Amino acid sequence: MVGRAATTGQAFRATLKRDLIIAYKRKNDVVNPFMFFLIVATMFPIGISPDPDRLGEIAAGVLWISALLASLLAMDNLFRADYEDGSLEQLLLSPHPLYFLVLAKNISHWLVSGLPVVLVSPLIAYMLNLPDAAYSIIFITLLIGTPVFSLLGSIGVSLTVSLGSRGLILAVITLPMSVPVLIAGTLTVQETLNGASLGGYLAIMGAMLVGALTLAPLASAAALRISVN
Amino acid sequence: MTMIEIIQFSSLGEFFDMGGYAFNVWSVYALFFLFFFINLYFPLLKRKQIIREQKRRSIVNKETATEISSS
Amino acid sequence: MWLWFSKLGSPKWFYELSGRWLPWLVIPMALLLVVGIVWALLFVPPDYQQGETIRIMYIHVPFASISLAFFPLMAVAGTITLVWKMKLADMVAKVAAPLGAWFTALALMSGSIWGSDIWGTWWIWDGRLTSMLLQFFLLIGVISLRSALEDSDAAAKACAVLSIVGCINVFVIKYSVEWWNTLHQPASSFSLSDEAPNPPEVWVPLVIMIIAIYLFFAVSLILSTRNEILERERRAQWVQDLVEAQ
Repeated sequence: MVGRAATTGQAFRATLKRDLIIAYKRKNDVVNPFMFFLIVATMFPIGISPDPDRLGEIAAGVLWISALLASLLAMDNLFRADYEDGSLEQLLLSPHPLYFLVLAKNISHWLVSGLPVVLVSPLIAYMLNLPDAAYSIIFITLLIGTPVFSLLGSIGVSLTVSLGSRGLILAVITLPMSVPVLIAGTLTVQETLNGASLGGYLAIMGAMLVGALTLAPLASAAALRISVN
Repeated sequence: MTMIEIIQFSSLGEFFDMGGYAFNVWSVYALFFLFFFINLYFPLLKRKQIIREQKRRSIVNKETATEISSS
Repeated sequence: MWLWFSKLGSPKWFYELSGRWLPWLVIPMALLLVVGIVWALLFVPPDYQQGETIRIMYIHVPFASISLAFFPLMAVAGTITLVWKMKLADMVAKVAAPLGAWFTALALMSGSIWGSDIWGTWWIWDGRLTSMLLQFFLLIGVISLRSALEDSDAAAKACAVLSIVGCINVFVIKYSVEWWNTLHQPASSFSLSDEAPNPPEVWVPLVIMIIAIYLFFAVSLILSTRNEILERERRAQWVQDLVEAQ
């Protein structure tokens, strides 16, 4: 490594590794969104009804909305610490395309805050009496959908990273943008339960993920350059 | 006159009643007029305020400028 | 071409030009508005299904159609701001956002009042209503981002990025909500403007109202942009001269 410039691929991997190590040292970042997801999902049976039939009907929606809110809550620490200690500026000064560095940060952030939520979703699905056939579907759709939430959220975070109090404004910007994913996710679960084939719905969700992967980091990178100067 | 003949209402009362949907029809038109006047009135009001404020500023600027030059 | 473009970007040039244009927009607007409203209220025959409530269409449809133009407008202005750093484009984008929120709100309210009779309720999660509501939220997001960022240059660029992202998103939302809606409510019989108003005595006043309200949109956008120009350029000599002359 010494004496020659790192390639973009190496920079990508270095950013990814660095963020994962930091997350490992600050375990709150991992635990908080996960606990938040569990708690929000618990509020629904208490607020609506403990009746298993009614819960079964809304379970998919509850899981998706809880995952969306957990992702929103987790977004706040995507760039904040880096912004405060100045390492975000270092990132912007790096010679590598910002697109890949932002993508690396997004991926590590999702691995830390999104993946645990996806992994625990079948358990919550069981507690909410979601029909058995849908466990695997909710798992797969959340696996495709939560990265899109993160990618969209990262645009909002990049735009608001310089603001002091940004929680509310982040929600106002991000939540309406997440609607298509929410629709695709819940419809996939409902319609496959009604007997539709999974393939077409997964293709739509996959298209959303690919679209978000290609476009969202570009927007985030542009927004970061504006916010940090 | 033909224009009078094709009016869809035979009396003023009928016109205001709008076939029983007076509230729906008239509230939409009332909202529209309210919106219309607010959207023309406020920009004009703001324009006056800006000009007044700017005049005040330029007077203050001139006064300070003359004070500086005389002193 | 480039000279013309940079000239167009100059706030002073736009201020003078728009001042000359305004009467030519206001006069047709007033005329068309009077003709359109009188026609809609007095001469349009009641619909065979909706009766007199059809008269709401002449307000609702123009507002709903123009509401869809705001995000593309702001996205184009945002692109110009980011690429050519034209000040005027950002001024237009800044005043367009609140105006768009107002237009969208009015389209929503008039739609809900119109639908209350047909649907028997003030609100249904109809595809058009829902996507319009989400567009309203997105506009609120742009407005609050603008007011939260203090530095006006950063606010301009940030709002430009958000408008471009929002514009793409509005289209995705529109299609996904329609998809969601058709799957949830098969064969909806109460979509508002699907049954085309065929006879000319119905659609001619609608066209008149649409043109009138587009002109109204142009007039209020220009008025607010002119205010914005005066405020931001207040240190420029020509604004000082203009204020002196008042």
